[in-house]
Amino acid sequence: MDIIMPKMGESVNEGTIIKWHKNKGDAVKRDEVIFEISTDKVDTEIPSPADGVLSEVKFNEGDTVAVGTVVAILNTSGEASTKNKETISEPAHHEEEIKTEYHEVKKQVDETVHAEVVSMPAAAEIKSGSNDLIELTMPKMGESVMEGTIIKWHKKVGDTVKKDETVFEISTDKVDTEVPSPANGVLAQILIGEQETVEVGTVVAKLSVSGTVISKDEIITKTEDLSGSQKKEPVFVKEGIAQPAAMHDNFARTSITEYEEVKAEGSEKSGSNNGSRFLSPLVMNIARKENISFEELEKINGTGLDGRVTKKDILSYIETRSKTKPPQNQSSVEEIKKETPHEQSYEAVKAVPASYTASGVQPVYSSHEVERIPMDNVRQKIMQHMINSRDTSVHVSAMIEADVTRIYRFLKANRDEIQRKQGIKLTYMPFVAHACIKALKEFPLVNATVDGYTIVKKKFINLGIAVAVEPNGLIVPNIKNADEKNIIGLARAINDIAERARTKRLTPDDITNGTFSITNYGIFGTIFGTPIINQPEVAILGVGTVVKKPVVVEVEGVDTIAIKPTMALTLTHDHRLVDGMLGGRFLKSIKDTLESFSENEI
Amino acid sequence: MANQYEIVVLGGGPGGYVAAIRAAQLGFKTAVIDKDKLGGICLNWGCIPTKSLLKNAEIYDLMKNHSSDFGIKIQGLDFDFERIIKRSREISDRITKNVEILVKKNKVDRIKGFGKLSSKNQIDIFNEEGQKTNSITADNILIATGARPKVLPSIPVDKKRIITSTEAMILPELPKEMIIIGAGAIGVEFAYFYSVLGTRVTIIEMMDTILPIEDREVSETLAKSFKKRGIDIFTKSSVEKAIVKGNKVSVTITSEGQKKELSADIVLNAIGVTGNVEGFGLEELGVELFKNHIKVNKSTYETNIKGIYAIGDVIGPPWLAHVASHEGIHCVEKIKGLRIPDIDYNNIPGCTFCQPQVASIGLTEAKAKEAGYEIKVGKFPFMASGKAFAIGEREGFVKFIFDAKYGEILGVHIIGSEATEMIAEAGLAKSLEATGESIIKTIHAHPTLAESIMEAAAQAYGEAIHI
Ligand SMILES: Cc1cc2nc3c(=O)[nH]c(=O)nc-3n(C[C@H](O)[C@H](O)[C@H](O)COP(=O)(O)OP(=O)(O)OC[C@H]3O[C@@H](n4cnc5c(N)ncnc54)[C@H](O)[C@@H]3O)c2cc1C
Repeated sequence: MDIIMPKMGESVNEGTIIKWHKNKGDAVKRDEVIFEISTDKVDTEIPSPADGVLSEVKFNEGDTVAVGTVVAILNTSGEASTKNKETISEPAHHEEEIKTEYHEVKKQVDETVHAEVVSMPAAAEIKSGSNDLIELTMPKMGESVMEGTIIKWHKKVGDTVKKDETVFEISTDKVDTEVPSPANGVLAQILIGEQETVEVGTVVAKLSVSGTVISKDEIITKTEDLSGSQKKEPVFVKEGIAQPAAMHDNFARTSITEYEEVKAEGSEKSGSNNGSRFLSPLVMNIARKENISFEELEKINGTGLDGRVTKKDILSYIETRSKTKPPQNQSSVEEIKKETPHEQSYEAVKAVPASYTASGVQPVYSSHEVERIPMDNVRQKIMQHMINSRDTSVHVSAMIEADVTRIYRFLKANRDEIQRKQGIKLTYMPFVAHACIKALKEFPLVNATVDGYTIVKKKFINLGIAVAVEPNGLIVPNIKNADEKNIIGLARAINDIAERARTKRLTPDDITNGTFSITNYGIFGTIFGTPIINQPEVAILGVGTVVKKPVVVEVEGVDTIAIKPTMALTLTHDHRLVDGMLGGRFLKSIKDTLESFSENEI
Repeated sequence: MANQYEIVVLGGGPGGYVAAIRAAQLGFKTAVIDKDKLGGICLNWGCIPTKSLLKNAEIYDLMKNHSSDFGIKIQGLDFDFERIIKRSREISDRITKNVEILVKKNKVDRIKGFGKLSSKNQIDIFNEEGQKTNSITADNILIATGARPKVLPSIPVDKKRIITSTEAMILPELPKEMIIIGAGAIGVEFAYFYSVLGTRVTIIEMMDTILPIEDREVSETLAKSFKKRGIDIFTKSSVEKAIVKGNKVSVTITSEGQKKELSADIVLNAIGVTGNVEGFGLEELGVELFKNHIKVNKSTYETNIKGIYAIGDVIGPPWLAHVASHEGIHCVEKIKGLRIPDIDYNNIPGCTFCQPQVASIGLTEAKAKEAGYEIKVGKFPFMASGKAFAIGEREGFVKFIFDAKYGEILGVHIIGSEATEMIAEAGLAKSLEATGESIIKTIHAHPTLAESIMEAAAQAYGEAIHI
């Protein structure tokens, strides 16, 4: 009986004999191991197919022979020798291996076939209807806005979209806004993932007007690629396309999702390394502790595997960062003027102290003691703006009290009627705004900006109104040419921008080019505060709540106590430009206007 | 051209043969030269044969000392020392043969003989008789000649009574008494092996603990366990001289200032290794050395001579097989021009395979403090692990050293059963720059010893459940 080199799998054509367990002349029992072989797939022991005596051993240990070669002869005494050539039984796991291999091949074939079958009609549809595709681009949100970040996709690929329905939400350095669909259709493809920043005009998605779901094609094409070549990674592709809506604003998850997205983009995005980072838990910890923004992390040159930012990279970044001191004097003014969001945030973040605790070493908390919440875009921006303002202006606050009895009485008497007639609920705010505008005209230096060693006095008044946006936002849209409006007009304008701020319908123009701002913390019951200047303005007026106060008044030469509705007004001004005298006079002017209010001003 | 190669690797140990295979995978025309069987010290006289010996000891230890705990009755328990040695040699033999096949399969030319660099691009091959049999040229030469046991004149190795690790794994019979000089991994492993089989073992170590590079708590735990086994340990002790007198060797030591005379029938010199740098042309070419090892750039592994590279034991500590292999792969990938991060020498697991096993990665508590870190330590004893209880392996603990500021895993130290298998998780965690939190939040299967890793990390943050 011939003992041959067994076939150990489809692709295995040869095997190496590593060890003979039996020598020539040895008696062998059925199933006893005769020799051991090694192929490029497995090592295995070859048992004897029958009882007998090994009469011939044809190869040495270490020899490599082709599958099917006779390597030894077993003398099975008597009838066996006359039997047809019988190959030795293959070890059990061998068959299994072939089976799995077969399954794998079959699966691949199946996939390919499947992909072809499904993709062909779909592809045809796209071709025929390719001009029904509308490209959705990153909108231009104002003159100086060059790029925007997609913060949320409201629609998934395959979702039906109505005209004017919100498709996605973007954030620029000026404003966050929702982008409506230009037409009815089906969202066919999403090209840019959440948290990715792209230039204005970049195609971010495709909308099919006829409702063709090219999303399927997209997936299928990629699947096809997969079975065809090894270029693309299946998991990433599928998830990236199918679940963009599942991505959120979480810091950690964001980076990972972005990674997937970029993979999904494949060649289109190659070269740009934007938002493609895996950030290790340690790097994230360090970034958090050292207040390194996501944008900064993106810019750090990674030396780890696949360009990953390692601990070493971020630590050396922190070191060089702390060496570059925040700019001083004139240069700081220039720096602050920089327009692009990256530069701005970079400047701002540079000023963030390494740690907020006094010792410089932050205590380590366990997860049941604290909850760690990654900052969303809005929060990060507010933080940066505040720090930027603090480090730009020399803040000084002055306070005055205004007796608003006249306005109080007027409102009491006329509020309902005005609401009925004009459809507007009058508050103190438009009165303050009005008084403020008058003061600004009188003291135009408060309506200015510092530009290096130049004072830029504005001849127009764009009055900013700070609006709190639930749950934790803050934005300061402004009323353009507020000086052209009367009190009712101001009331309408304030209501309009406040409403649009809360519903995220502001345009970037609404929040650019303000000249002076008012913040009304009085609505929360606050009596007085010291607001932070909205850059690049040089002053801000804080409005306190109106309280009835006992005040000493002189009636016919006699001091008596009267009850007066009183409003505390704080002016925080930038001492670089506005000194105490100017600030005081400005406040006094507002006070006088408010106190001397007469009905015919309405 | 048959004798022209892009990469020639001199030395076929775990550094050399792995480098050669990787080079061939990357498309280089590659050859590997070794005068002996492939596999180097590691497969022939190191890692593998010692691990197979240790398995015998573990089984015997379990049967002899713990069978009754498990309700197993054994009568006439005995062992066959010769067979134990033979098994180890057979395993080594088989594995090296497999490596020969592996190398061939990867289309690497295997050249047998002693290689000597005659120029920076040429290597002459000599047979055992010292005759030149061949000469090959190479664009790049990778030196992976390894290291050999270090010998001191005061301890004259005769390979019979005063031996090195190589002889220790092929002794003709079980020694009655053995003195082991040096309590690094090799010394400690042989101490365990021989002591379990019944040899009276004495360890002599210059530093103040055995396994001096390990975390102090770990070393002390191991020392306690060894003493319980009856192993004598002399730390802070140095050997003055060792002299063979008939069937005995007498050893004079200075132990904490006091002279002592010891005697045994075998003395094992395990004080460390020294690089194989002599006699194959390095001196003539002017390859720069550093304390008996080749000096290289640890990013490219190039020596001071362009086109000559070196990796593995021959470039110095840590003398470990996995490091040699990684350096080999890294080196040829760099030659290929691949952009890869450098090897992080702070992230290399070190293992000692005695029982209880010792495994560690990164900084010890003392080293972390020395480096100026403010640290957080987490510890979990196997005593508190359900699995450890179930399998009767309650000795030891897992210890984490964290940087308190950023939560970085600075070091992980394990002593106990399967420690050497468990350290892999810590290695992955460290290389992916995971933090304690990542480990705590990783679900570990129950009941496993590896749960203790999670618990130890949690303990540092006051979140451990089972202690
Ligand atoms: C007893 C013992 C136990 C060990 N246990 C472990 C362990 O558990 N884990 C671990 O990681 N490490 C262990 N080590 C260390 C490990 O064996 C070495 O780190 C590893 O072998 C180094 O690999 P290398 O390729 O650099 O050199 P080597 O393995 O030493 O290989 C060098 C090769 O080069 C050949 N050579 C040298 N010069 C020439 C020349 N001129 N021409 C031709 N050929 C030449 C030699 O024949 C040899 O085959 C142990 C070592 C010992 C001694």
